[in-house]
Amino acid sequence: MIPISWYLVFSAALFTIGLFGVLARKNAVAILIGVELMLNAANVNLVAFWRYVTPDAIGGQVFAVIVFAVAAAEVAVGLALIISIYRRRNTIVAEEIDMLKY
Amino acid sequence: MSTDLITWLLPLPPLLAFLLVILFTNRRKALSHTIAVGAAALSWLGSMVIFVRAVQVEHLGEHPFHSTIPWLPTGDSVFTIGVFVDPLTVTTLFFVSWTVLMIFIYSVGYHNYGQPKGDHDMPGMPPHGATVTDEHGRSKKVLSIEPMYARFFAFIGLFAAGMYTLVISDNLLTLFIGWEIMGLCSYLLIGFWYAKPSARAAMIKAFMTTRIGDVFLLLGIVYLYSATGTLSYRDIFYNQEVLNSLAATPSGFLGLSAAALIGILIVIGTIGKSAQWPLHVWLPDAMEGPTPVSAMIHAATMVSAGVYLVVRSYPLLSAGYVHGQLTAPMLLMGFIGSFTALFAATIAVAQNDIKRVLAYSTISQLGFMIAALGIGAYVAAAFHLVTHAFFKALLFLGSGSVIHGMEHGVMHTDQHIDPQDMFNMGGLRKKMPITFITFLIGGLALAGFPFVTAGFWSKDEILSDAWGQGYTMVFIVLALAALLTAFYTMRQITLTFLGKPRTEVAEHAHETPWTMTVPLIILSLFAISVGWSGIPEKFPIIGNLFPNWFHEYVGGSLLEHPEAVEFSVIPLLTSLVVSIGGITLGWLLYRRIKAGSKDPLESSLGSFYSLLKNKYYFDELYDRVFVQPAYTISRNFTYLFLDRKIIDGVLHWVAYVSPIIGTFLRNYIDKPIVNGSGDFVGEGTKRLGRTFRFIQSGKVQQYMIVALVSLAAFSVLFYYLLTSAP
Amino acid sequence: MEIVSNYLLTFILFSPVFGALVLVLIPRDQVSLIRWLAFALSLIPLGLSIALWFNFQSDLPGFQFQEQATWYAPINSTYHVGVDGISLTMVLLTTLLTPLAILASFNITDRVKSYMILFLLLETGLLGVFLSLDLLVFFLFWEIGLVPMYFLINQWGSEKGERELWGGRKMPARNYASFKFIVYTMAGSLGLLLAIQMIGVVSGTFDLLRLYEIWPALNQPLFGIPIGTVKAIAFWAFAIAFAIKVPVWPFHTWLPDAHTEAPTAGSMILAGVLLKLGAYGFLRLVLPLYPEQAKAYAGALGFLAVMAIIFGAFAAYGQNDFKRLVAYSSVNHMGFVVLGIAAAAFAIDTNNAAIALEGAVLQMFNHGLSAAAMFFLVGVIYERTHTRDLNEYGGLFPLIPVYGGILIFTSMASLGLPGLNGFISEFLVVRGSWPILTLYTALAMIGLLFTGAYILKGIKMVLHGPLNEKWAGHISEINAREIVVIAPLLVLMLWIGIWPAWILNVINRAITMFFQGA
Repeated sequence: MIPISWYLVFSAALFTIGLFGVLARKNAVAILIGVELMLNAANVNLVAFWRYVTPDAIGGQVFAVIVFAVAAAEVAVGLALIISIYRRRNTIVAEEIDMLKY
Repeated sequence: MSTDLITWLLPLPPLLAFLLVILFTNRRKALSHTIAVGAAALSWLGSMVIFVRAVQVEHLGEHPFHSTIPWLPTGDSVFTIGVFVDPLTVTTLFFVSWTVLMIFIYSVGYHNYGQPKGDHDMPGMPPHGATVTDEHGRSKKVLSIEPMYARFFAFIGLFAAGMYTLVISDNLLTLFIGWEIMGLCSYLLIGFWYAKPSARAAMIKAFMTTRIGDVFLLLGIVYLYSATGTLSYRDIFYNQEVLNSLAATPSGFLGLSAAALIGILIVIGTIGKSAQWPLHVWLPDAMEGPTPVSAMIHAATMVSAGVYLVVRSYPLLSAGYVHGQLTAPMLLMGFIGSFTALFAATIAVAQNDIKRVLAYSTISQLGFMIAALGIGAYVAAAFHLVTHAFFKALLFLGSGSVIHGMEHGVMHTDQHIDPQDMFNMGGLRKKMPITFITFLIGGLALAGFPFVTAGFWSKDEILSDAWGQGYTMVFIVLALAALLTAFYTMRQITLTFLGKPRTEVAEHAHETPWTMTVPLIILSLFAISVGWSGIPEKFPIIGNLFPNWFHEYVGGSLLEHPEAVEFSVIPLLTSLVVSIGGITLGWLLYRRIKAGSKDPLESSLGSFYSLLKNKYYFDELYDRVFVQPAYTISRNFTYLFLDRKIIDGVLHWVAYVSPIIGTFLRNYIDKPIVNGSGDFVGEGTKRLGRTFRFIQSGKVQQYMIVALVSLAAFSVLFYYLLTSAP
Repeated sequence: MEIVSNYLLTFILFSPVFGALVLVLIPRDQVSLIRWLAFALSLIPLGLSIALWFNFQSDLPGFQFQEQATWYAPINSTYHVGVDGISLTMVLLTTLLTPLAILASFNITDRVKSYMILFLLLETGLLGVFLSLDLLVFFLFWEIGLVPMYFLINQWGSEKGERELWGGRKMPARNYASFKFIVYTMAGSLGLLLAIQMIGVVSGTFDLLRLYEIWPALNQPLFGIPIGTVKAIAFWAFAIAFAIKVPVWPFHTWLPDAHTEAPTAGSMILAGVLLKLGAYGFLRLVLPLYPEQAKAYAGALGFLAVMAIIFGAFAAYGQNDFKRLVAYSSVNHMGFVVLGIAAAAFAIDTNNAAIALEGAVLQMFNHGLSAAAMFFLVGVIYERTHTRDLNEYGGLFPLIPVYGGILIFTSMASLGLPGLNGFISEFLVVRGSWPILTLYTALAMIGLLFTGAYILKGIKMVLHGPLNEKWAGHISEINAREIVVIAPLLVLMLWIGIWPAWILNVINRAITMFFQGA
């Protein structure tokens, strides 16, 4: 059986890639994708711990499913925002969108 | 009408006359004097009725007419006032009513009733005369009527009301009321010609000087009232228990008994009112007033009131008096009285103003009375009071008549010389015979001309009392004063009436109208006859002709009837010698005075003469010592220094300092600390925000990095905190 | 009519306010209507208080015509009014002087409407102090009276004159005087207010009748301080407030300034009534509430009174300003009131104290008459000559004989001539004080002597002496309106002087019942 550490390493790698994407990419869509990656890294962890630590309880799976749902909702809202920003400012480069400071 | 009712009504007519004249008739001269003289006559009539009824009562002293009404609610009791008629009241009333009536009548003539209005007369100045044209077309100057004629009668009306109140009152408070009303009237009358600066000064001097005495008297009354709870004569002077307890109570002041202290306070009141040394200075100046005023105030009534007071309070003044040991008030009276008698007589010798001589002689004669009381000669003092009132009123009115006649001469000749200076007179006996005869009678009475005149009997009685009771010092001083009195009286008579006229004015002097001479005649009758009522019974020959009615009667006013002194030849001889001697001396020295020549005393007495002439410089002394400093204290010390500098200074200082404190608080407390801390919080927050605003770049990724770094940092921190914990 | 008799005091107290409200409705250019209306309206309280005088039963103890209504429930302060013989005479004095003062101010031409309104409001303030039986209400009216007076002096006072302040700054005299008047009095009231509050907090009531029972008997320590100390402090707070108002030496210097600068009618009320508030405070509050402290400090109070008598007379004698001379005479005369009070405080349950207090109350009334009359007469001559400098007058008697006669009469009343009112009260005060404060009474005689000096100085400089020619033909006799103003005062002076029993009966019974419970 594959030891749990492999899942964890994989999950960490995936999370780091996602984090990098969030921090380093300029395109807002790419940042969104990074976020998705990070969420899914968490999902991997959730499922892995469920399988190896408490296989009798279904908490881990339920959490994973909720994360999916949240991720889907987030993407929907996030993309809608990005489209709305693009329409108003004609750009989706994260550097140029600094309206949060006002 | 009952005697009580008449007594109550006595002061009323003159008072009503005053009100009527002041309020309604002050422009109607004839009506005004009719009202005033009528009122005086009514009061006179009432007094005479009382007199007649009172002398018929036996032992009036023990059963006086007395009636009271409640007047002043005081705490748990009521102060009652009332009227009181005992022998002393009766005799006082007798001379007061006569002299007052005479003076009222005399005033009509003195103020030139019936004469034309003056050319330049104005209220406040003596009339200056009027120019009239007679039937031959010649114009000449004659006396003019007093511009304030009605006012004069109003004032003397009030004055008479005050005097009657004083005489009939049964207690010291209403006596004091009458006393002060007279003070006011004397003020108003002395300053009757108020536009003259000298009159203005004299009126104030008179009021203030007597007021010094008055406040002491008020204290005495208050003390007496506090100590006994009453001021009624009957309850105090005729109540041996009260007198004894007062004499036994210590006052806590100089070891005097309460009776002695009260007595001294009362005597000081008298010293002021009766112009005794050292408060004598006002009386001579009071001659600024019209002559009837002088007569009224300064002879017959007001100054007599002072003596009346001490005679009245004699039982209190002598409380604790054992023969040979005088009480403190008596000692004071004996000293002040005899000193004043001599002192004033010496000044009178060197005066040239006909009225001033009389003024000083008044002071001197009042001194006689007070000295007499001081040695316990109660009846003698009262006797001299009565006789003096008559002959001195006569003399003053006579001098007024002389002045009036001289003024006539001044008008006629148009020479402006002083009509009151005796050296401008001379030979008036031919020009003014009635005035001369009456003045002579008055003068001889004053000089104590033996046997005939009233003055002799009363003065002799004082001297024999002083001798008989062994007060030799008083006797000698009074005898000297009597000698001087006779001397200056004769000097006055000689200078005025005898010899030849020394000026043209005196040559054209003229006898005065009947309104003035009739009072003179009546008064001169009294100046002689009154004395006969008091001839000592043991007197050789004539002692048996007339009973000593006065002694019997007035002596009844006391609880214990005073003993008449043993008759002695020495005082009688002294009396004879001093009066005859003084008169002779005066006549010898002054009978040959020529116009323009000096007073013979001036060369013989030298610098002492100028000392006398200037009245021992008392006016100057008082002015320097009291009047000027009083003004300086008032204006410079109290007002300018104390109030303006110190008290207002403190206030202004507070007003000056408070803004400074305020500014300090604002600048050093309020602004930096209170405002400063508030400002600091606001400003600091602002600055902090400004410093860190760059963090909020609005860039999501930067926020993310910050969050990450912070997370990492906190993680490390917590890790160390958790692991290093014990 | 029943409602009037049931609420008589309230009607007396607030009818001037009603009058002021009526005046508000009159257009301001109807000057003569305003004057006459103000005069007519001020007669209402006079009529009512005369009715009060005749319906008052002087032989009953305690306060009569009492009314009580809730005013400030949370702190137990009520609108409580009532009169006894002491306040009755003061009410009569106030309501008598106000119409006369209004009549005297008919020569005011500047802002007549505001002037008259202020005057009527002033009357309410003064009456309130005399009528109230609640400490807080008392204080309220005490302060209310100040405001109209401030404006009367400040706005209608004499236009000439300057006062130099510390540091060389100068300000117009009337501003100076009004400021000094209000600030000085307020400074005094500060302690009064604090003491009143303390009494209220401790006793739980401001009602005087209750306090008379509770407060003097209180003997527990308060706020950890011994009760004696607390009471002594409160006593002095009261005493100083009232002493400033009376005024007692050395708190008196506001008075000559305020009196001198105020318009004639203002001086009349100021001297006639306002000064009485202080003395009334002593009688109504200090003596009954602090009998022990009053006794302990009576000597000090008596000393100050004597200083007022002596220095008041001296300062008056030192004046060249006629109005200021009269103003200082108030210090002198009110000194006798305080002397009587001090003597009574020392031995409250003796007959001497009753006599002294009786004299003091009568002296308050008498001074109200004579000072008002004197100020009025000064105003009359000022209006004709436009100067108050005594040296400028001289020999005016022939020109204005009627005025001269009235002046002499009034001066003599002020001097205390027997037969006129001043003597009776001064005699009673001296009689009452003599056995208690003998030395002070004797010293007061110096003041009495100088009373004569300054009164005579006034008469001398105005009426007597050579005529100052510049006034010949330029000065007119006192006119009918002015005679109407002064005549009632003259009549009363004479009446009290000759037959004082009518007023003394009321005062005497009130005094014995109020202070000695007899």
